Amino acid sequence: MNLLIKHDWTAAELLKESEAGGKKRNRVAGGWIADLAAQKKVITLCPLCTGKFNPARVQYRKEKEFPVCQATCDGCSTFDIRCSLYIYDELYRQVRSTADERRELNRHRAARIKRGFL
Amino acid sequence: MQYLGNLSASTPIIKKYKASAAQLIGTVVIKSAANASGQISTSTTTSIANALGHVLDNGMGNAASGPISYSTTQGADEAIFGVIVNPDQILRAQMVTGATGTAITADAIVTASSNGLTFVGGTSVASPDMDEGIVWYTSGANVGKSRKITSTGATVTGTVIVPFAANAVGDTFQYAGVNIGLQGVTLTTDLTKVRTDIAIATGATFSILDLELFGTGDSYVHLLLGGNAWLQVQS
Repeated sequence: MNLLIKHDWTAAELLKESEAGGKKRNRVAGGWIADLAAQKKVITLCPLCTGKFNPARVQYRKEKEFPVCQATCDGCSTFDIRCSLYIYDELYRQVRSTADERRELNRHRAARIKRGFL
Repeated sequence: MQYLGNLSASTPIIKKYKASAAQLIGTVVIKSAANASGQISTSTTTSIANALGHVLDNGMGNAASGPISYSTTQGADEAIFGVIVNPDQILRAQMVTGATGTAITADAIVTASSNGLTFVGGTSVASPDMDEGIVWYTSGANVGKSRKITSTGATVTGTVIVPFAANAVGDTFQYAGVNIGLQGVTLTTDLTKVRTDIAIATGATFSILDLELFGTGDSYVHLLLGGNAWLQVQS
């Protein structure tokens, strides 16, 4: 037996749900985010939603150099200034330069100068 | 291009925008033209006028059907891309030569300079003009040292004011038509790298914030979006 729970959508809710990138009407947040992850899209989640997402399971990497970003949460469609940012791991190096990466480059640079050839 | 941070040290602001063309990951997108379908469009190798930000994803799907891209077919998914929109964002781009982005050309000293005020190589630094650009050595007594190029009088001769140590024939060096504070760089055709073989201050209105001067394949330039759409002054 299925229980059907009726949701009365207001005009404001419909408008909000039709925003670019927002979760579509009648979509469960988990399924919507799974779709985004399958498309390797950037995912932004507010503090309330971020705990429900396991980035490693879908090969995503949490942005740690910037612990927060300002974005609309892909889970609850709320703009939040403390969202977490997740980027598909394979694409991460194409769009982000981290201090660790630059530190490694500098270490190599120093070693190469010592050897006499940059 | 890689997002490095913001000049104001603030947090990144991410927006999901509708595309009016297929976009490449790591490129700068601009405001769509009037009557175009979406909100973001592709920049060019020489223009980022009305830049909106830096694309963080490529709409790629893991299905066999391949990337989800821009489409005007009824029923097709709308092409939406995540964009960092901070107007003061710092982008890091690799220095390359050529339209398709090969490693920077390394040159070698052919005439030694005992006073360290000139470098004479095998390729022209006057055309395209590298005056006000940067030169750095990758071997020899000056390895790792850089100077601003202050003139390029003769074809293969560049001049600096703060002298290097005496160079020797065979010392290798690199030069680039970019330097701090200059505005204008030309991008490769994939819009992700900066060409150093173009005369200084030519092309898209990026402002240059910093340089990472390493070898031929791992030197970078830090850029600011000079031509962004958010800070335009309205009359």
